[in-house]
Amino acid sequence: MLLRQKADLNFANEHGNTPLHYACFWGYNEIAEDLVHHGALVSIANKDGDTPLDKAKGNLAKALHDIAVEAGQDLKKITFKDQSWIGLKTRSRDATLSRHKGINIKDLQLREKVASTPSGDTYRGIWQKNEIIAKILAVRNCTSRISRDFNEEFPKLRIFSHPNILPVIGCCNSPPNLVVINQYMHWGSLYTVLHEGSGVVVDTALALRFALDVARGMSFLHSLERTIPEYHLNSRHVMIDEDLTARVNMADAKFSFQEKGRIYYPAWMSPEALQKKISDRNWESSDMWSFAILLWELATREVPFADQSAMEVGMKIALEGLRVTMKPGISAHLQKLIRICMNEDPGKRPTFDMVIPILEKMKR
Amino acid sequence: MASPRSVSPRPPGPISKTDKEESFWDKIGTLGRKKRIKEVQEVQAEGKYAIDSPGSPVAPVIPPEEYELEENEERSMIQRQAFEDSKFQELLHVLIEWINDELASQRIIVQDLSEDLYDGQVLQKLLEKLAGAKLDVPEVTQSEEGQRQKLAVVLAHFNQVLGRSESSKWSVESIHSKNLIAILHLLVALARHFRAPVRLPENVLVPVVVVQKSGGQLNHRIIQEKITYSYDDVGMRCERDAFDTLFDHAPDKLQVVKKSLVTFVNKQLNKINLEVTELETQFHDGVYLTLLMGLLEGFFVPLYCFHLTPKDFDQKVHNVAFAFELMEEVGIAKPKARPEDIVNQDLKSTLRVLYNLFSRYKNVM
Repeated sequence: MLLRQKADLNFANEHGNTPLHYACFWGYNEIAEDLVHHGALVSIANKDGDTPLDKAKGNLAKALHDIAVEAGQDLKKITFKDQSWIGLKTRSRDATLSRHKGINIKDLQLREKVASTPSGDTYRGIWQKNEIIAKILAVRNCTSRISRDFNEEFPKLRIFSHPNILPVIGCCNSPPNLVVINQYMHWGSLYTVLHEGSGVVVDTALALRFALDVARGMSFLHSLERTIPEYHLNSRHVMIDEDLTARVNMADAKFSFQEKGRIYYPAWMSPEALQKKISDRNWESSDMWSFAILLWELATREVPFADQSAMEVGMKIALEGLRVTMKPGISAHLQKLIRICMNEDPGKRPTFDMVIPILEKMKR
Repeated sequence: MASPRSVSPRPPGPISKTDKEESFWDKIGTLGRKKRIKEVQEVQAEGKYAIDSPGSPVAPVIPPEEYELEENEERSMIQRQAFEDSKFQELLHVLIEWINDELASQRIIVQDLSEDLYDGQVLQKLLEKLAGAKLDVPEVTQSEEGQRQKLAVVLAHFNQVLGRSESSKWSVESIHSKNLIAILHLLVALARHFRAPVRLPENVLVPVVVVQKSGGQLNHRIIQEKITYSYDDVGMRCERDAFDTLFDHAPDKLQVVKKSLVTFVNKQLNKINLEVTELETQFHDGVYLTLLMGLLEGFFVPLYCFHLTPKDFDQKVHNVAFAFELMEEVGIAKPKARPEDIVNQDLKSTLRVLYNLFSRYKNVM
């Protein structure tokens, strides 16, 4: 039970069972109550469609039910989502790292090219019967040093333990090709959903849900205290899952050797992030600024400073005080939140842990 | 990152800390400790001096044969005032810096051109570094005869490399007798031949006193010795291209090319409220070059990656090297110029780099 060090309480294994399922099944009443008190959901169904309450015997079910209602949990059954092919690999961290560290590039069946960005070309494909997205990194001269750094850095992107983080499944390290592989996301990035008309209607409720998802993902990311590879939060780097869950995409984090000295999307970055090295500033609060821009983007459905080039935007944000302007359509609450999150003083910006309850309240 | 050129360590400035300048905190400590700290500092300073200073004592006793002349023999020396001339001083400084930078990896530090180069030891190392050849001479020679032989071998090699008639300006005798004029001629010829990444002050004239003994009498006359000339290119030597032709045969067309390049860069730089009027000087510090890359390729360069207001040569070289790096990253061929050439305001190199960008991005709005 010491596992509560930031572990995801609602994480399901390949059978769809959460810790609460087991606690109920084995009749550990105190543990089960403790779990629910700390936010474990009583309504998650496992593979067979049973919720923890179904597994609980006698009075326990009733007790848990009451606690859950008290905590304001939605009791509608959450159906099991088959992620077993990812889930399998998450059971033991060390075993997984060695197991899928190197994916053989020959095992990938790449089909169509989806995108070509400065960081590399992205393909859709199949790996072990799963739909994947593979990004072949653009590296000019793949030295053995880069290959070594890649090997060292990519395992840090394999974060399977949070529903709002989209992990890197594995990588192929076969110079000159460095390939980053993650799960295929049907709706594409948040940027696509918002600005390129993919058929999803983003109403205020959904926008808030996206915001909350991203905040949760970022909050988890910050609890890990990792800076390399560097993740820049913006709508292009957030993916939307089939069930419209927003997930922070670790495949978009930048490796130490990638895009050195080049920032392609400065509009989302804080003035200090454009001027100082990540080691010389508070990167968590820089992420909070990026989140504020993301909130603005969700509220206005506009791309920030779309009419100017990256260099112009970057120079003006860093040196001339260019900022997003509030539009009349944004609700007063959200305006206030955006302003708080992009405080000019990095030290006065809130943390994601503080923002989450506010967003939850706004959602209701 | 771009590798900045290796730089030789510079001798520390004079230690000027006197008792009066001691800070308040020095006085607060107990007397005993203070004394010990001072002792340590003194020993450190002495050690440092011992390492940095040349090995031989500064003022050797000059034997009579050094200044006694044979009948009809000529001896020339630089007039004392010449050393106060700023251009001449600069030339000496630039050459010493260059040699020290080249030989930094060998842990050789030259402080005085005539005192440190006459025995051929440093010249040998310099030749091996520049020409990439290994000379078959003894490493260290103590005897004068040995030094002369070694110097002869080294100079013969130099003349072969340089392959020019200029070699009459120096000889084994003149260099071994620490004749600064001969040494300077040799070094300037070397710097020019190997296109050292330095900018020599141009048209340096040195007044030289030539003393001749005729009929038992010493006669002297003063001649102006020209050490450097004006150079139109200090850039890297490479295959002849359109720009060489342009410079040599169509200076009028050069203006047209320059003008269209100015228009091209301004179209981009105007977006961030910058304006260029002169290509030679405004690109030499690498700032505009870096910004231009971002504008053309659609990215922002974080300000910690380069010096927005570079203060010295090294920072400028860093900027230009960084801009080159960016060019290579986005798939432009490695520029046919060295970062130092741009910083030294070599017009031809600057034009080559800008033209490279122009031909790739002329259609970018």
